[in-house]
Amino acid sequence: MAKVSIENVAKFYGNHQVIHGIDIDIADGEFVTLVGPSGCGKSTLLRMIAGLEEISAGDIRIGDRLVNDVPPKERDIAMVFQNYALYPHMTVAQNMGFALKLKGESRAAIDARVQEAAAILALEPYLDRLPKQLSGGQRQRVAMGRAIVRDPQVFLFDEPLSNLDAKLRVQMRAEIKDLHQRLGTTTVYVTHDQIEAMTMADRIVVMKGGVVEQIGRPLELYDHPANLFVATFIGSPAMNLVKGKAGNGGFVAEGGAVLPLPPGAKAGAVTYGIRPEHLALDEAGFRAEVVVVEPTGAETQVLARFGTTMLVVVLRERVDLNPGDSIGLRPDLSTVHLFGEDGRRL
Amino acid sequence: MSDLALSVKKPAAALNGYRFVQSISVFIIALVVISPLFMLFIASLKDDRFQILADMGSFRAFWVDHPTFNNFREVGNFAGELAFGRYLGNSLFILFSTVSLGLIVNSMAGFILAWGSLPGRALILAVVIALYVIPQESIIMPLLIIVSRAGLSDTFTAQILPFVASPLYTFLFYQFFAQLPKELYEAAAIDGASIFRTWWSIFIPLSLPALATVSILMGIETWNQYLWPILITQTDYARPISVAIATFFGQDSIYWDRAMAASVLMMIPILLFYLVFQRWFISSFVGSAVKG
Repeated sequence: MAKVSIENVAKFYGNHQVIHGIDIDIADGEFVTLVGPSGCGKSTLLRMIAGLEEISAGDIRIGDRLVNDVPPKERDIAMVFQNYALYPHMTVAQNMGFALKLKGESRAAIDARVQEAAAILALEPYLDRLPKQLSGGQRQRVAMGRAIVRDPQVFLFDEPLSNLDAKLRVQMRAEIKDLHQRLGTTTVYVTHDQIEAMTMADRIVVMKGGVVEQIGRPLELYDHPANLFVATFIGSPAMNLVKGKAGNGGFVAEGGAVLPLPPGAKAGAVTYGIRPEHLALDEAGFRAEVVVVEPTGAETQVLARFGTTMLVVVLRERVDLNPGDSIGLRPDLSTVHLFGEDGRRL
Repeated sequence: MSDLALSVKKPAAALNGYRFVQSISVFIIALVVISPLFMLFIASLKDDRFQILADMGSFRAFWVDHPTFNNFREVGNFAGELAFGRYLGNSLFILFSTVSLGLIVNSMAGFILAWGSLPGRALILAVVIALYVIPQESIIMPLLIIVSRAGLSDTFTAQILPFVASPLYTFLFYQFFAQLPKELYEAAAIDGASIFRTWWSIFIPLSLPALATVSILMGIETWNQYLWPILITQTDYARPISVAIATFFGQDSIYWDRAMAASVLMMIPILLFYLVFQRWFISSFVGSAVKG
């Protein structure tokens, strides 16, 4: 295990800059997720930590060692790829033991380590099989096993669950988290799925356009997004945003409807944010027209028109609503998010 | 109902017609390819070389009344005891040496062009492709001068070395390696494999289809070499069978019977070579490297 320090790291492809001076400190044993939309630079940053991409500027340290010019094999890291990258002609055991074989470890030591990792991942029955004889989930486990046997200082995961179906993804998510809790190895995990990031990480790094938008614990990001991008990226369904202007009597939305403001709200807000589950039915609240009702069993999602804005409301209780109904909604004022002209939280 | 029956019948009839045309086409192509070989084999069993010549224009070319292996025996003792065996041995040695070294050299070059961090890689690749269009015959005289000055005339080296590295086969390997997932190369780098080890332990075992293809093409090309060995060999020491067969076609008389038998003998090793490698032509299990 080791801490990872990323200091003012930049990446250029020719004249095109894809990473703009990023600083992240990852503590020893921490599980950090890099999350963001496609092209935000999260995978490039991970590959720079792995040594698969050159660093154009800045420093990366693993432990106390500067690794900028250290080749991947000497960085003491292990990486799990999106498409697993298992060696197709090698059995599961050979795949897992390949790195140890290259290190010149004895046959007995390799077998022992492979057995140990296989036991952790419930892969013992498959050790003699080729990758093509395994299911997607099993291949993913082998890829993790290959990382575990090396007992590296840092695990790097590059969207490892993207190729799995939804059900298996949820299962593997829990397995990876459980594995981290048991092994305690420092982990950097790249995903574009904010649910994955929220459920697995100790801390999340939200990236956009090669820049870090916010770093924080999952609920910290959810409850206190630093800007509009984080507010809409984290959370599903996404936060409702209403454009308008804060005044003395409340927040006047485009179209003239008024939303209540929390006491002591700072002036200058032009965007009013409220999460779908923080809106409740209340006849005394502001009026909206029901457009779509989506009961899921555990909750009901209601899409409602408020002036020129569509609002998503998540209700825990069972309700009898129909399209066209007029409903009253009341925001939980303690959870209202206000954003200024520059998109930053006020 | 009748409309439905008709609509079902029509495609079925069309399909049958298509299959008939397909079968006939395959039969004709097979006939064209196989008939000269069959004619060759039949002729090699005929005792009279003048009769072989006389039969060539008729269907008798495909029939032998009194088959005999005399021609094969005579070929075996032609130009002295076991000389033909010597030529065959020479050809086999040249074949296996050229193909073995060619697989190593061209696959290494293809691998580095596909995955190595070689400066000017794109330019080198462009040059390799450009070299491919130059016919071998056009460089044969300069090559002859180089080989002679190097003191390699009438050696096996002169027949192996110039044909080991080939732009075509390097390009074939390059194309094959380049389509393998990049993550395999990266996973090996993280696992601690050197570039040589990555080539040998990861990419070569995945390249059976490419290895087989190059082996077959290179094998046939080497086996059929004629112009170069005739220029470079002066004695029986390194002379291959393709050149030796030409001696049956003398200035005064042509020994059709022996030439036919020798041709059959020459064909057998390369046919076996093809049969061994062709099974990997189509099969590949590379797809299981990644998701699916």
